[in-house]
Amino acid sequence: MVSTLFADAAEVRRRLDTVGYLVDEGTATALYLSAVLHRPLLLEGEPGVGKTSAAKALAEALATPLIRLQCYEGLSAGEALYEWNYQRQLLAIRLTETTERRLTDADLFTEEFLQDRPLLRAVRHRGPLPPVLLIDEIDRADDEFEALLLEFLGEAAITVPELGTFTAPRPPLVVLTSNRSRELHDALRRRCLYHWIDFPTPERAVEILRRSVPSAGEPLIASAADFVGRVRALELDKPPGMAEAIDWVAALSALDVSRLARRDVLRTLSTLAKSPDDRVAVADALDDLEHAREAAP
Amino acid sequence: MTPGAGAPGPGSALLPAVDRAAFAVALAVRLREHGVPVGLTPVQDLVRALGAAPAPTRTQLYWTGRVCLVRDRDGLAAYDTVFDAVFGDAVLPADPHARRKGLDTPPAEQGSHEPAPGHSAGGQDGDGLPWVTLPAAVTGAGGPEGDERVALPERLPSALAGLADTPFGELSPRDTALLGQWLERSLPVWPTRRSRRYAVGAGGTRIELRATVARARRTGWEPVRLVRAGPVSRPRRVVVLCDVSRSMQPQAVAYLHLMRALALSADAEVFAFATTVTRLTPVLAHRSARAAVAEAEARVADRFGGTRIAASLRALLASHHGGLLRGAVVVIGSDGWDGDPPAQLAAAMARVRRRAHTVIWLNPRAAAPGFTPGTATMAAALPYCDALLPAADFASLLRVPAAIARASRHPRGGVLTRPGAHGYSAMSLCVLACSISRERPLRRSTGQMTSGWPTGCVPVCHRGCRDRRVALSGPIHRR
Repeated sequence: MVSTLFADAAEVRRRLDTVGYLVDEGTATALYLSAVLHRPLLLEGEPGVGKTSAAKALAEALATPLIRLQCYEGLSAGEALYEWNYQRQLLAIRLTETTERRLTDADLFTEEFLQDRPLLRAVRHRGPLPPVLLIDEIDRADDEFEALLLEFLGEAAITVPELGTFTAPRPPLVVLTSNRSRELHDALRRRCLYHWIDFPTPERAVEILRRSVPSAGEPLIASAADFVGRVRALELDKPPGMAEAIDWVAALSALDVSRLARRDVLRTLSTLAKSPDDRVAVADALDDLEHAREAAP
Repeated sequence: MTPGAGAPGPGSALLPAVDRAAFAVALAVRLREHGVPVGLTPVQDLVRALGAAPAPTRTQLYWTGRVCLVRDRDGLAAYDTVFDAVFGDAVLPADPHARRKGLDTPPAEQGSHEPAPGHSAGGQDGDGLPWVTLPAAVTGAGGPEGDERVALPERLPSALAGLADTPFGELSPRDTALLGQWLERSLPVWPTRRSRRYAVGAGGTRIELRATVARARRTGWEPVRLVRAGPVSRPRRVVVLCDVSRSMQPQAVAYLHLMRALALSADAEVFAFATTVTRLTPVLAHRSARAAVAEAEARVADRFGGTRIAASLRALLASHHGGLLRGAVVVIGSDGWDGDPPAQLAAAMARVRRRAHTVIWLNPRAAAPGFTPGTATMAAALPYCDALLPAADFASLLRVPAAIARASRHPRGGVLTRPGAHGYSAMSLCVLACSISRERPLRRSTGQMTSGWPTGCVPVCHRGCRDRRVALSGPIHRR
């Protein structure tokens, strides 16, 4: 019953730490329980908070392949589960016609003609450790695809009518992410553990920036983390996430900025504010933001 | 990040001699009492999780329980409340999200385990409408449910049809409820959009290989007949925003009925706003119209206060529901009396316009004879609307879906004007906005519908707009 992957939640935290992904206790517990209980984990949170990176880091920490399925409307079984290689099948038919051999169904529907798509690839993966399957932005797919996922999420099995049911020897670690642009169906939620990732606390944000942009200096990182926190409190169309913060500090660092100055902020604002309105809002609030920063010790 | 990590309990686990199953079930029951739907699978998960990894500290127990039991962000605040109520005297919830929420939700200490207010409609069931400031025509709150059931057989469609032309303010609550049900049954087919999903069908544009090869089995593996697939049409998403401020008081209940009808038949997302935005979709989908509307009224905290249309739109766009507006038909029901500066509304409407497929404005005052959308707010909003429709009685509400369907078939160019019946088209709205801004008196068209369009609208598309502009500024005479 107890997973051999991780001993406890603290170990998840430690091992993700070694690959440069810092998690809080909640996320570590969620990942650990998902591994122990063999349940898919549904991660939600504001954009840019590190949902996708959590799955990537998990795969890296376990040194196991990451299989990724990007969702979109109209995603069907042929793109998510498996597809027969029809061209090769038709070719095989023509070839046998020339040799006057008899051809049966069983000759055409073999694994030779089966094309794995991400879900089947995760099920058929042979290796010492189960792969990490990332089903990214599930809210972009439609209801039909959610229904298609149910057998896989519940049983870690995929049925190919012509061949039979494939069951994973070790159930893959499944991470689903959603941006909540659409309400997911209850049947899907029921099959998953659920975790809401919050923006990291300022201390952890500093730590994350330090890891992601090693070239940036300490004072720059501290003031940038503080600044991003304040920008997030403004009324913006799209508040900057952790990803934007990392981009911004990397940009500042690439421009050899060691202390945050107004000119540098304006120069690199496009990495933080992603719409014209936001750009204006941040630029307008720049003075207030700086005053607040001066006032704070 | 989590404060208050409790000291390890006696032994290795926090709950040494506790029946895990009983504990999990008890926690789930409390959560359900707080309105969080907890099924059997999450409970089973929690039992297994506690078995696999006994939680030695309070914080770990918190996370284990939260990850296993709560399957939706909306349940997180309730979980924190329950967890704190069960596990003693914590001052701060362990989770930053809950700490944010904690400011506006009552602390857990007071209510032992009573259901959260607002989740129970029990208080409103007996006495109908929960406020007392309604005008005489709307107070009284109808009879008890029994009356309604007795009265139903006497309400023939003809009687309802007569009532349909009565303005909302003059209807009794019972008539409003009956008309609401009638509206639900009478909504026509909704506009569709082409989705990216393909399905097998005649006349499709793609060759469906899987079906073609499956079919070729019958003909000795010779693909004699190609099977085609075409895109599937989906109902276009509808987002309804309804003003429930003081000036909209007589219309509020009727608009709630319209929102419920759309939510049920067209899967609409519905929001009410006055100074803040409240999402009403799950509430209004209740099976009983009466319970749904009562619950919705209880849910809207700021009804009958001032109006901040621009701020509400901005809040909606910024929230995670903002994505719902993409490619949707957005229906805004408001009289356009706004506390915010018109420039802000224009900016917010411009953003709505960029995201939405069609923007429709319903104005109860547009039905009044001699109405011109002359308030600064309406003038600011008009250039971004595809249509401005009157909505002062149920008959006009019933015409709204058909008008919307037509507007989305002719996006940006469709005209919903019914001369004399006070609907305005996208083009005419621009003309109106121009003429208002130039402070010239606008001559209105009078007369009846020109020809046999079912709802009395005259459709004009891009090429006809220029002519229609002329028609709008002069009278259109009865044929």
